[in-house]
Amino acid sequence: MQAKESFFKRPGVQTLLASVLCAVLGIIIGFIILWFMNAEHATEGMGAILTNFFKYRIASTTTLMKYMGSFLVNSVPVILCAEAILFAYKAGLFNIGAAGQYAVGIIASLYTSLALGWNWFFCLLAAIVAGGVWGLIAGIFKAYFNVNEVIAGIMLNWIGLYICNIILGGEACMNQSKSETYDISEVNPSGLLPGFMQEFFGGNQYMTIAIPLTVIVAIIILIVLNKTTFGYELKATGHNKEAAKYAGMNAKRNIMLTLLISGAIAGMASGLFYLTGIEHYKIASSVPGMGFTGIAVAFLGGLNPIGTIFAGLFVEYITLGGQYLNTNYYNPQVADLMIAIIIYLCGFVLFFKTILNRPGKVKVNANAEPENTAKKEV
Amino acid sequence: MSGLLLLIQYTLIFSAVLILVALGGMFSERSGIINLGLEGIMVFGAMAGAMVMVLLPSDASKFTIIVLTLLASALAGMLSSLLIAVACINFKADQTLIGTAVNMLATAAATVIIKAFNTIRSNGADFSAKLDYVRGHDAFVFYIGKLQISWFIVVAAILLVCAIVFFYKTKLALRIRACGEHPQAADSVGINVYAMRYIGVLLSGFLGGLGGIIYICAANSTWHFDYGVAGAGFLALAVMIFGQWKPERIAWSAVLFALFRSLSNVYMGIGFLHALPISGTVYNMFPYIVSLLVLAFTSQNSRAPKAEGIPYDKGQR
Amino acid sequence: MEDYVIEMLHITKEFPGIIANDDITLQLKRGEIHALLGENGAGKSTLMSVLFGLYTPEKGVIKKDGKEVKINNPNDATDLGIGMVHQHFMLVDIFSVLDNIILGSEPSKLGFLTKAEARKKVMDLSNKYNLKVDPDALIEDITVGMQQRVEILKMLYRDNDILIFDEPTAVLTPQEIDELMKIMKDLAAEGKSILFITHKLNEIMEVADRCSILRKGKYIGTVDVANTTKEELSSMMVGRNVKFAVDKEEAKPTNEVLKVENVCVKSKIHANDSVHNVSFNVRAGEIVCIAGIDGNGQTEFVGALTGLDDISSGKITLCGEDITKKSIRYKNTHGMSHIPEDRHKHGLVLDYSLEENMILQRYFEPAFQKGGMIKKKEMREYSDRLTKAFDVRSGQGAVTKVRSMSGGNQQKAIVAREMDRDHELLIAVQPTRGLDVGAIEYIHKEIVKERDAGKAILLVSLELDEVMNLSDRILVMYEGEIVGEVDPKKTTLQELGLYMSGAKRDDGREAK
Repeated sequence: MQAKESFFKRPGVQTLLASVLCAVLGIIIGFIILWFMNAEHATEGMGAILTNFFKYRIASTTTLMKYMGSFLVNSVPVILCAEAILFAYKAGLFNIGAAGQYAVGIIASLYTSLALGWNWFFCLLAAIVAGGVWGLIAGIFKAYFNVNEVIAGIMLNWIGLYICNIILGGEACMNQSKSETYDISEVNPSGLLPGFMQEFFGGNQYMTIAIPLTVIVAIIILIVLNKTTFGYELKATGHNKEAAKYAGMNAKRNIMLTLLISGAIAGMASGLFYLTGIEHYKIASSVPGMGFTGIAVAFLGGLNPIGTIFAGLFVEYITLGGQYLNTNYYNPQVADLMIAIIIYLCGFVLFFKTILNRPGKVKVNANAEPENTAKKEV
Repeated sequence: MSGLLLLIQYTLIFSAVLILVALGGMFSERSGIINLGLEGIMVFGAMAGAMVMVLLPSDASKFTIIVLTLLASALAGMLSSLLIAVACINFKADQTLIGTAVNMLATAAATVIIKAFNTIRSNGADFSAKLDYVRGHDAFVFYIGKLQISWFIVVAAILLVCAIVFFYKTKLALRIRACGEHPQAADSVGINVYAMRYIGVLLSGFLGGLGGIIYICAANSTWHFDYGVAGAGFLALAVMIFGQWKPERIAWSAVLFALFRSLSNVYMGIGFLHALPISGTVYNMFPYIVSLLVLAFTSQNSRAPKAEGIPYDKGQR
Repeated sequence: MEDYVIEMLHITKEFPGIIANDDITLQLKRGEIHALLGENGAGKSTLMSVLFGLYTPEKGVIKKDGKEVKINNPNDATDLGIGMVHQHFMLVDIFSVLDNIILGSEPSKLGFLTKAEARKKVMDLSNKYNLKVDPDALIEDITVGMQQRVEILKMLYRDNDILIFDEPTAVLTPQEIDELMKIMKDLAAEGKSILFITHKLNEIMEVADRCSILRKGKYIGTVDVANTTKEELSSMMVGRNVKFAVDKEEAKPTNEVLKVENVCVKSKIHANDSVHNVSFNVRAGEIVCIAGIDGNGQTEFVGALTGLDDISSGKITLCGEDITKKSIRYKNTHGMSHIPEDRHKHGLVLDYSLEENMILQRYFEPAFQKGGMIKKKEMREYSDRLTKAFDVRSGQGAVTKVRSMSGGNQQKAIVAREMDRDHELLIAVQPTRGLDVGAIEYIHKEIVKERDAGKAILLVSLELDEVMNLSDRILVMYEGEIVGEVDPKKTTLQELGLYMSGAKRDDGREAK
């Protein structure tokens, strides 16, 4: 036994390395794609994606900060969806239903603010509760009816989407001529989240407490997972269900509670996004991509709540970067493609990490025999 | 045209889509790989097929159009399924993550490719992610009486029969199924588990790709590729579970789901349904609600292939 | 010159730190039933894995019909006509009997199965060897006995003539065992050569022509069954020398701590009970041991006792309180400690650190949490105290991931945790499995200390040395029932062996 592992053998460092490797590979492949589409302007195109809104630094600091603010606001839902997925994943559950929980969060936040004229606090609370309930439904199906949470989640995603279209598509919320929901700022200004450092970010009106709340949520998740008995139980269940049972933990309760909380975070994600007023809901024919991007961000972030913040910012930065491409040569979706490639690569990273972390040769001895036979009547 | 006729027409074409894609999912899962990337495979198949339809010269015969379109879609589907096979079989990646990644990859790639494709064809005038394939779409249509039938339906029916025969009667299918249930047992009698799983995933690519082109041709002659295929792949997964991973039952559940799905397209044409105070969106929801409830009652003894989702490690016998 | 169909000559197979097979020679005559006898861990499975191509031996050669052969993988073995009925059947549950038999060697035309031909061949074999099966039944619907016949037919269908049976009777009912014995005799009469791995003496006496005995990785000898007795086989299997003596005083049992009455557990694999009408008690200050051969219901019984598995009937009383239906958490906090049989499956969260594993059943106690927050400092102190007291060694101390620790230290960590918890009863299942001598001695000493401190101890063990040395009373479990109670000071290993192999039982019922 060595006293200290080498720097590169530390799990945290490895995770970071793996994620950076994914990101860099993704960018390189993105560059190759740009090169194939138009070799002449590839460097310029990649430069535009990476420079992003920082190109405004030449114009004025105010403009730069304003764009920076919008970038942060747009990052919030992705980060929170990823936190939701990460939280469930730690307990061994794949919450692919985050997209649907996000959708019902949109319903709750926009309906309460536009149709009912509630104060922002209660609108946000409604979004959280709605997302939580949606997650809990999947949890109940899993705990009591043995329905795989992935399948239940996918079904609930679509149901959530259509309910969203029905409720928000009504005249109470949607401006029928523009086919998008009304401005909260016009209908019910009290429904908007309170501003946060708007002056600092070039008077960006969408800068709200959503930003600090997101960071707080991430920190709370970090604390819950690492410092509390609840997190201890969840992770034990996620690592080894049988051992959790041996230790007397209640599996059914934990499944439901985990998905409830995960759903609540996803619901909060939409509340903290739509209640800034930066986005209107339009009738959609597909489930919000946020829930799926969230899966990617969670993995890219090394399944660490704080890492997820940075992964979320990175993914949003690249996505946003697509809009800075010269549309004469490229289209902005190249950025989405890069993101998708990065996620795909994340699948391989887990494999590489296992290789790196594999302890020395496992000892097998003659007594291996009872180890095998013990499982006979399982 | 009467509403009922329209309903039958839509049900048939949606059934064709769901049957093919669900059968694809079935072959993949039967070999032991959960394929959540069906949605993405459909997008790739649809894209390739639509591009062929657009590119073929205007004097191409109907037969040429049909054959080449289907071929292109199936091939694109298989190529994209390799993304899943390599990651999940050789690198033992998380199958749910990879499936999700392929879905995202497909929509993004299709958008990028179609936009580039349009830009080049139009010399920079058109950079939409939309393809028009009216001519190709029409090539697939014929009529029986008043009922509009697509050759796609015929193809799907033939493939369904082939799939049923293949599934129950061939040596290869028996081996594939063994790998999804008990790969160690298969290995112990000399079956190459990795190869069988590759075949399963490639079959899902083949069928998913075809399903993709049928889906976008079902009711449209243009398609916006930035929308993907709007969850049809996931619906097919539900059909597959509903069909208990068996081809003939998948066929029936696909028809059932397709009927619900079609209602949302045609309910306005059917007097009594239109009179009900229910919006079209509710009809959209029906298949999902029904399947969720049915799953709740059947999942206690649902028979998913036992080894699905678990990477097979040759070393651990 | 003898007509040997398979010879394994001077086979040595080493694993890091242990020699699993030490210069073992096994010669199988054509048409004989050759038993391979040995305790758990004697090296039988390793030897068969070498023959089946799963392991490559360091030394030694294998000969088929007198010619040297190389067996690098199971396919090579199959090509040589070697077939094996694995202990865990290699059958696909949802396939029919026929499909399972032909899988991998399917008759086909242009890729289509031609089952009629296969069916005829299978039915012919089935009739010829009296292996009754329903070719169209699904595996999941048929009895374990029939499943085994399917496995045998699989070998016959492939025209194998060397048949290995790996502990084939472990999962069978007595009637099914009788049938199997007859089938094996028929097969041998038809010229098949059979290797029969077992530790049930009655079965050897009944069917085997010769018997080779392994003990602790070494070859002890080969005897003609006709010229031997069960007693002789038993003493060859267990050896005469008890290796690790444990110093302990006479037990001074006091009040009753655990009382088990008529406990039954339904089997998950066959229609019978896997635990049937088990009743006994354990008093404070004594070590009661459940001995028996693996797979005779011990695992299921412990599962029912601790709450990991469902109990179908009976009553369990702990310190005067009926705990039959109580939750695992309740039992954990009301006097029951449990060193589980499978430390990786149940005992540890391998990806947790050592300190986190130390509080696995106690994290919610006020000593380790306040307002839902885990008290890291207390956890660290507690873990450090236990690891010091029980000499648990790890790479980085309390924060070491348990996965990276050696098996012995993992086990010591569990022992430390379970012994330190507030308890009246310690259930120790195979507490020394897979450990080296030092660790075994240490754990044995700790268990005796526990007893002397007035705890009740229920030991479940497959190791006869451990059973004899440690316990104050021995209960022998055979096919889910307690068939005898013996005093370790008055009994012999031979007698114990007879009980364990079902040749003797206290209730005087005819042994199977």
